[in-house]
Amino acid sequence: MQEQCLEQNDEGGVCGQALRVLWARPLIRACLVVMLLFALLAGYGEAMFQYYRQTDQTPAYQRVDLQKRYQPPGFVRFFTTWSAGDLFRHPLGTDNLGRDVALRIVQGARIAFQVGVVTSLIAIPLGVLLGCLGGYFGGRTDSVVVWIYSTVASMPGLLFILAIAVVVGKGLMGVYLGIGLTTWVGVCRLIRGEVIKHRDLPYVQAARVMGHGPFYILFRHILPNIAHVIIIVFSLRFPAAVSTEVFISFLGLGAQNEPSWGIMINNARLRLWQGMWWELTFVTLALFLLVLSFNLTGDALRDAFDPRLKK
Amino acid sequence: MPVMYSLLAIDHLKTWFPVRRGLFSRVAGHVRAVDGVSMSMEKGKTVGLVGESGCGKSTLARTIVGLEKATGGAIHFNGQNILSMSAHAMKPVRRNLQMVFQDPFSSLNPRMNVMDIITEGMVEHGMIRRRERKTEAVRLLQDVGMGPHALHRYPHEFSGGQRQRISIARALSLQPQLIICDEAVSALDVSIQAQVINLLMDLRDRHGLSYLFISHDLSVVRHIADTILVMYLGGIVEQGPAQAVIDTPLHPYTRALISAIPSMDGQSKNRLILHGDVPSPSHPPSGCRFHPRCPYATEQCAKQEPILTAENGDKQRQVACFHYTTIPPFQTTR
Repeated sequence: MQEQCLEQNDEGGVCGQALRVLWARPLIRACLVVMLLFALLAGYGEAMFQYYRQTDQTPAYQRVDLQKRYQPPGFVRFFTTWSAGDLFRHPLGTDNLGRDVALRIVQGARIAFQVGVVTSLIAIPLGVLLGCLGGYFGGRTDSVVVWIYSTVASMPGLLFILAIAVVVGKGLMGVYLGIGLTTWVGVCRLIRGEVIKHRDLPYVQAARVMGHGPFYILFRHILPNIAHVIIIVFSLRFPAAVSTEVFISFLGLGAQNEPSWGIMINNARLRLWQGMWWELTFVTLALFLLVLSFNLTGDALRDAFDPRLKK
Repeated sequence: MPVMYSLLAIDHLKTWFPVRRGLFSRVAGHVRAVDGVSMSMEKGKTVGLVGESGCGKSTLARTIVGLEKATGGAIHFNGQNILSMSAHAMKPVRRNLQMVFQDPFSSLNPRMNVMDIITEGMVEHGMIRRRERKTEAVRLLQDVGMGPHALHRYPHEFSGGQRQRISIARALSLQPQLIICDEAVSALDVSIQAQVINLLMDLRDRHGLSYLFISHDLSVVRHIADTILVMYLGGIVEQGPAQAVIDTPLHPYTRALISAIPSMDGQSKNRLILHGDVPSPSHPPSGCRFHPRCPYATEQCAKQEPILTAENGDKQRQVACFHYTTIPPFQTTR
């Protein structure tokens, strides 16, 4: 009898199931691997960043070496020099100041992940909280929530972000706040709709008859049932935040003195006529791969969690 | 001498839903789901409430437990008017007033395991401590005829009948005086229905429970109920001891309901077959609400509204019809 009591339910929860479904699809498996690789690169970049800051050195990715500028990627040089060492020395080439492109891309990945995570930490709690309140209580509370998000949504997003970036000052803080404070609207809308769907279901009414308070019901009963929506929202807004950051940095308002992908693209754009194709190519490729795999995984997650698509 | 209160006394209860129309959502009318219902029930008794779909049975139940706001009237539970109570004051009342819902599939939270579902209320009301949950849950499951292996399972792993047992265990956990069963067995197979009804009757005897048992199915209600109330379009048309209502129905509507129960002998009695649908509760007919569908209706029925009156001075047996004494007697083979 005791063993039976302790027996775990073998389904492994809804999230485990969804992950298994995702892993079974080769394309999504590749995307997950790409995302993991980028995450590792970002972690490595963070470690490097912290190391140089602690030891007060000029970081390797910022070291200017005019002797070595405009070096094409390692494999291109390999075909002229036939020296194997060239393959590993500056594998993705150097830019117009002789800085290593590969190292800078790693730093860019670090910033991209920071932006994705920090803006989510601002936008998701804000959107979930307001969406829950509006959806569950309805009436006047809901009107206030809808009014707030309609107002934010009616402003052109990019302009709003740029305005915040200007007010807070150049730098990543402006990017975090700008993206975080504009993109919660979508989260809020989705969560509000889900809460409205759930609040009149019998299990919620049963909880009310039990005598539970509204906040207990919201967070203990309804939220676990719509948690998958939050995961989907995260995976879909992450790449959007990354590309927005790249664009703002490209405009010169984002990261300062740090090799964000946007700054690199802006820099590479000016050198393209000198035949320096590699910086632009590899940065764009990195951005493309990261955004694509997040988007594909987000779509697949949505499918995996959608009960209507299940057999 | 202490004043004795009925367990539940409802007095001219009205639950109307506003119908909003137009640009500024003006209130254009009301759906009178429950329109002037009065009833009372004693402790330890089971009251069956029958009527066809849309007659306001469920709204009545939901108003009693506070899921809908009443428009007028009063509900006294143990002598306290629970309609005028704040949510805070209502909390101790909720312990004694529980409900079992119709749909066993959506009335249990799919993300909570059985132990959490059935002990959550006891923790909320401070009846047990968190670490006592397991023993309490095992006891409750035993009460409803389930083994302890169910503790850590999730609702989707159970069949409809088992889920309804879990729902009953949840309602039972607070040791209430009254459990309202809103079509609690309607969604189950007939064989499972019998099991669940037997379980309910067994629990009633063991725990001294009272039920307000709501169903559209008279044959189910007569098994379990001591008293039957018949509801039509937001109002009660007949009430009385279960056996009396089944054997000698007085109101034409009750007769129609009873003649709709299929019988095993295959002989058709003088069946009373109703035509048409229940009229819209937003525009109830004048006079007697049943008169457009009643084969015995007269002009008086269309003009005056009959009120519930005791038959032969018997307070238990009440009917709201002008003509129940003059219409042909109803033969039943049961």
